[in-house]
Amino acid sequence: MQTLFDSRMTMADFIAALFDKLEVAGVAAITKLPSGEKTAYTLLADKDDIEDCVPYFPAMPANAARAVSKLTREAPPSKQVAVFLRPCELRALTELVKIKQALLDNLFIISFDCAGVFPFQEISLSDEAKLKAYRDAVADGKNCEGIRPVCNACTRFVPEGADIAISFIGRGLDEPLALSFPSEKGKEAAKILGLDSSDNVETSPALETLAEARKKAEGELTKKIEETLAGTDGLISVFDKCISCHACSYACPICYCKNCYFDSQTFEYFPESYFARMGEKGALRLPVDRVLFHLGRLSHMSLSCVACGMCEDVCPVNIPVAQIFKTAGTRAQALFDYIPGKNPDEPLPLLTYAETELEEFED
Amino acid sequence: MADNGMEPKIVAFLCNWCTFTAADLAGTSRLKYEPNVRIIKVMCSSRVDPVFILKALLDGADGVLIGGCAPGDCHYSKGNFYARRKVALAKKLAESMGLDSKRIRLSWIPASEGPLFARVVNEFTESIKQLGDNPTKREVYI
Repeated sequence: MQTLFDSRMTMADFIAALFDKLEVAGVAAITKLPSGEKTAYTLLADKDDIEDCVPYFPAMPANAARAVSKLTREAPPSKQVAVFLRPCELRALTELVKIKQALLDNLFIISFDCAGVFPFQEISLSDEAKLKAYRDAVADGKNCEGIRPVCNACTRFVPEGADIAISFIGRGLDEPLALSFPSEKGKEAAKILGLDSSDNVETSPALETLAEARKKAEGELTKKIEETLAGTDGLISVFDKCISCHACSYACPICYCKNCYFDSQTFEYFPESYFARMGEKGALRLPVDRVLFHLGRLSHMSLSCVACGMCEDVCPVNIPVAQIFKTAGTRAQALFDYIPGKNPDEPLPLLTYAETELEEFED
Repeated sequence: MADNGMEPKIVAFLCNWCTFTAADLAGTSRLKYEPNVRIIKVMCSSRVDPVFILKALLDGADGVLIGGCAPGDCHYSKGNFYARRKVALAKKLAESMGLDSKRIRLSWIPASEGPLFARVVNEFTESIKQLGDNPTKREVYI
């Protein structure tokens, strides 16, 4: 457990300190949009805009790892940029670095223990009742009613690998920020911010309580999905509504391919092929390869799936994609004892091997 | 032999250097084996993306056989180690997603082992007959 310091700063003070004391050139975080309803992930270079900055607002307009990947893919920024990332976004970024789609140089990563987010369509800045319930849940270390199912069952809600980590759970969103500094860069920042052992505070026991609730919810979610997917009939019925829009892959932080294999010419067939596939069935649902798309996407990204929930958020026909991918992904990852986003130095499971392993899969 | 009159269709991805050569040897040695495999030659067993395996199963293949060089004997020195990880992933995903992972088989068959190839094909055909038709075969709305 990292040592926690009471910074005596509000979020606005903290962001001001990022500009003034840590001399960052920009801050990327969730900000309020002028409509006063919705939020977006925004890069700010001006300290005067920080009032609109709400990094902990419980919405994920997009997985921010995608934005950071765009920001850093070609070259690292020439000046320090502070980026706020939820733990799952940070894990996604680590995976993107492994697949050479992002660079960490000159990034100052700030994360926080995350109480989850609401489905994007269901939360606005003006939803006072929901936001109050959320604030209470954060302060009490409880799961908030109405957050996404995968957030509700997320057990990796404490960030790993950030430069500065903020602890909200058990303390509340409006209290002065409690900070920890896991990295070397972070420890330097602590000195600059003037925090020392006299500012130490206890880690809230609410983190443990929430971890237990989440673990229980994860077990229930896994059980529900396993029952849904039992047998070929289950597989087909769960994806029956799928309209092949592929939005899940466009929103996925891990699906980085500019030209997705499943949108490629490989899956364009001559008419004869359709009749051949029909075989003795006498009928064929079009377009073909609809269920294959999901299984194929699982083959390509499940080992890096951080269960951020974006796929389910954007699904226009409400398929529990994220819950399915979390369940299948966790099982696939367990095969290689791999936790995506945990260790930046650990190679991707399909890019490494041991000479003696997995012998139970040979016949 | 389970005689349920079923003639399984098995897609076999065989590596050019070992298992395909073994299949060739089985043929030139006039060994008899079950005629249920449809062979697709790949340069290395590690070329087999889990998608190929899952696609075959979704499109109605009753079984998928992946054949490669024995560990340590890979023509490209380590391709089959990667292949093993990929097949393990395909099996795990099949299992999680309502497909039967027993329809996937990974076997190491060296080039000089024609009889072993014939035996593996016979064994796998038999075990697929036990499992019966792949339910995806009749599925229109997949």
